[in-house]
Amino acid sequence: MVLVSAVRDYVNRMFQDISGMKVLILDSQTVSIVSVVYSQSELLQKEVFLVELIDSISKSKESMSHLKAVYFLRPTSENIQYMRRQLSNPRFGEYHLFFSNMLKDTQIHLLADSDEQEVVQQVQEFYADFIAVDPYHFTLNMPSNHYYILPAVVDPSNLQHFCDRAVDGIGAVFLALKRRPIIRYSRTSDIAKRIAHETAKLMYQQESGLFDFRRMEMSPLLLIVDRRDDPVTPLLNQWTYQAMVHELIGIQDNKVDLRSIGKLPKDQQEVVLSSEQDAFFKTNMYENFGDIGMNIKRMVDDFQQVAKSNQNIQTIEDMAKFVDNYPEYRKMHGNVSKHVTLVTEMSKIVEERKLMLVSETEQELACNGGQVAAFEAVNNLLNNESISDIDRLRLVMLYALRYEKESPVQLMQLFNKLASRSAKYKQGLVQFLLKQAGVDKRTGDLYGNRDFLNIARNMARGLKGVENVYTQHQPLLFQTMESIIKGRLRDVDYPYVGNHFQQGRPQEVIIFIVGGTTYEESRSVAQLNASSSGIRFLLGGTAVLNSKRFLKDLEEAQGIARTNANVV
Amino acid sequence: MATRNRSWLFNKYRDALKGARAPTSSSAAATVKLKASSGGAPAIQMASNSLLHSKRSYAALSTEDPGNSSKVAATIGLPPAWVDVSEEIAGNVQRARAKIAELGKAHAKALMPSFGDGKEDQQNIENLTSEVTNLLKRSEKRLHKLSANGPSEDSNVRKNVQRQLATDLQNLSMELRKKQSTYLKRLRQQMEEGGDMEMNLNGNRPKDEDDDLDDMMFNEHQMAKLKQSEAYTVEREREIQQVVESVNELAQIMKDLSVLVIDQGTIIDRIDYNIQNVATTLEEGLKQLQKAERTQKQGGMVMCASVLVIMCFVMLVLLILKEIIF
Repeated sequence: MVLVSAVRDYVNRMFQDISGMKVLILDSQTVSIVSVVYSQSELLQKEVFLVELIDSISKSKESMSHLKAVYFLRPTSENIQYMRRQLSNPRFGEYHLFFSNMLKDTQIHLLADSDEQEVVQQVQEFYADFIAVDPYHFTLNMPSNHYYILPAVVDPSNLQHFCDRAVDGIGAVFLALKRRPIIRYSRTSDIAKRIAHETAKLMYQQESGLFDFRRMEMSPLLLIVDRRDDPVTPLLNQWTYQAMVHELIGIQDNKVDLRSIGKLPKDQQEVVLSSEQDAFFKTNMYENFGDIGMNIKRMVDDFQQVAKSNQNIQTIEDMAKFVDNYPEYRKMHGNVSKHVTLVTEMSKIVEERKLMLVSETEQELACNGGQVAAFEAVNNLLNNESISDIDRLRLVMLYALRYEKESPVQLMQLFNKLASRSAKYKQGLVQFLLKQAGVDKRTGDLYGNRDFLNIARNMARGLKGVENVYTQHQPLLFQTMESIIKGRLRDVDYPYVGNHFQQGRPQEVIIFIVGGTTYEESRSVAQLNASSSGIRFLLGGTAVLNSKRFLKDLEEAQGIARTNANVV
Repeated sequence: MATRNRSWLFNKYRDALKGARAPTSSSAAATVKLKASSGGAPAIQMASNSLLHSKRSYAALSTEDPGNSSKVAATIGLPPAWVDVSEEIAGNVQRARAKIAELGKAHAKALMPSFGDGKEDQQNIENLTSEVTNLLKRSEKRLHKLSANGPSEDSNVRKNVQRQLATDLQNLSMELRKKQSTYLKRLRQQMEEGGDMEMNLNGNRPKDEDDDLDDMMFNEHQMAKLKQSEAYTVEREREIQQVVESVNELAQIMKDLSVLVIDQGTIIDRIDYNIQNVATTLEEGLKQLQKAERTQKQGGMVMCASVLVIMCFVMLVLLILKEIIF
């Protein structure tokens, strides 16, 4: 409940001392921040009767002085400009300004300058500058997430924006938790290093007063890693509920848009998947697809029972009981049809794209050795007509990442085959991925084949056998977290920033993945938190990835890199 | 949950800037102050936030000091008329809530065994129940007055106010119904127990006392008991009937309200969805308007052309007639 409840508390406090009818004004980022943790009916209870975006509220001129305006904005210069225009011509009775991060003095000066009629009641900084999708998982939803792949010289100003937003987000998380961490980063990544150093500068120099909380016995750990350390996880097909929905359909701010999939009734076109509001989803979000089917069947059976008992209304007592249970019944009805729709649509997609077949090979590639067999399997799948282009591309990528050094000849064969098979295949995307996230660029032991201990462990696992072929993959993050628990994270691979070193085991660890997290990793974090290891992990990233998004970022970065190479 | 209050810095800057600006715009500031100190300002301020929130309303009335509000009142105009309606409903809700609490106590008292016949209690319960039901019914009727159409911001506000009040009303009527049904259940239970006891009395006593009398006959004492219990049963029956009636009335209210109330956890309950929705409805409205404009223009043209054609015909006919006749 940590992250979600922190943001909820901030929102509660905004409305706490303001009586009367209110209007809440947000910008395009804060609207996501508030939406994932707060609902419309809760807002109504707080007497917030209108929610508007800052750019649309400035269009209307109608005076509404019986309302009090509560602004919750990111402190961007754009928003300050909007604010200035609106303050110079006030429409509302009172103005309460809340900013999601640190304001510069010049920005306050600008605001004060335009407030000629003295309508502003308060200016506050409430550090809810991250989107808390799950209790232990936050994202920053950066629209241009691909900049992390590019080297710093290509587009310095945009990269600076990227870094600033990441640092702002990380800073806000720690302010919301009231902690100042010790910072480590993965050695091979320039961007992780840069963000780590800028965060340290912010926390220990620029705003050291703000970050000076009561000393904890043990400082929490902030670990900044790069997506390119583990390019495999976002390329795999997923079989646990939340991850699978995101992979096959797409989750945006805990909402699933089903309009692209097919004709559905109007109330099913867009559905909410939030672990906070949906008990069924909360218990099943990490279950695998087969179990989900069983559980949904159970839920449908329960629902049928209720529906049946509602049908035979004979006495007045029955009627009274029905009316009593009606709201509950309606809620249940909506929930049941939502999950049934999702699972039906997903199993359709699985069938269509032969994902069972594809995923088996994917998991083999990600987890087990055996290059000859793997080549055979990938080759066969490339020949299979019913496999979609994107799945082919992913298979070749996974193969390339795994056997980059071992069999260049066969790799070339696969490249050629892929190019001849699918016309849409972007030339050189696999090579670009290898260049960016190849074995030389990665920190950590992705395939568990770099030292003997890991090789031995892998062999032991191979002998034991696996429960489920489709969910045998463990993300690299899981290993990293395990070594943190054991206190064995290597200082060489993950160096400290400055002279703040960790003594002993931290109790709180925040891992920030530059380039985006996946729901598979979020699941590992939740599972480790549930097992009582004494350490609480939080996971954050610049975006929440699925394979589509990961490939899109890669493509965009490749495009920019290529045009730049041409110019130079 | 760290926060930082920048109001102080903001005020400092603002005051400094005001000082710098003062010589040029002193006259404007003076008129603002004049307006603010006129008598009507505090009253307006009070009207704007009185009674709206049930829990805070009294505090707002009593602790609002006029000196503080005068600064704000300069910019506050009269709120629109629907605010009065919403306040009235909010007041009703508050009163109903108090009444329901009272009713709960009355129920508890009526269920307790007492020496009196409990007539007053019954009367009290009946009165309270009908009062609450009336309040709810009236509020529900008034609620429809709040509805507005058109995609303007004001109508959005009204819709949301309506929703919030509807949710309140629904919760209240749920509470009332729950209270009533538990009362009903307890009443029935008591009645059954009472019945059992009477039966036992009737069954056991004859053997002990009435050896000399015919077994089939009741003695006077027993007859009296029986009559009493019969009367008791009739009375309870009536009570149950009444409660059932009010339950049904409430069910009707509930049905009307459920149209307005947002289901929690659904997409309609999402803040961003609502914002997008407003945007899309606005766009759609614009499209409709453009379409209407187009059709209107077309309509005018077609009309013109057809009038001309008709005129041509008429002229032609006239021409022919002229040729034929003359």
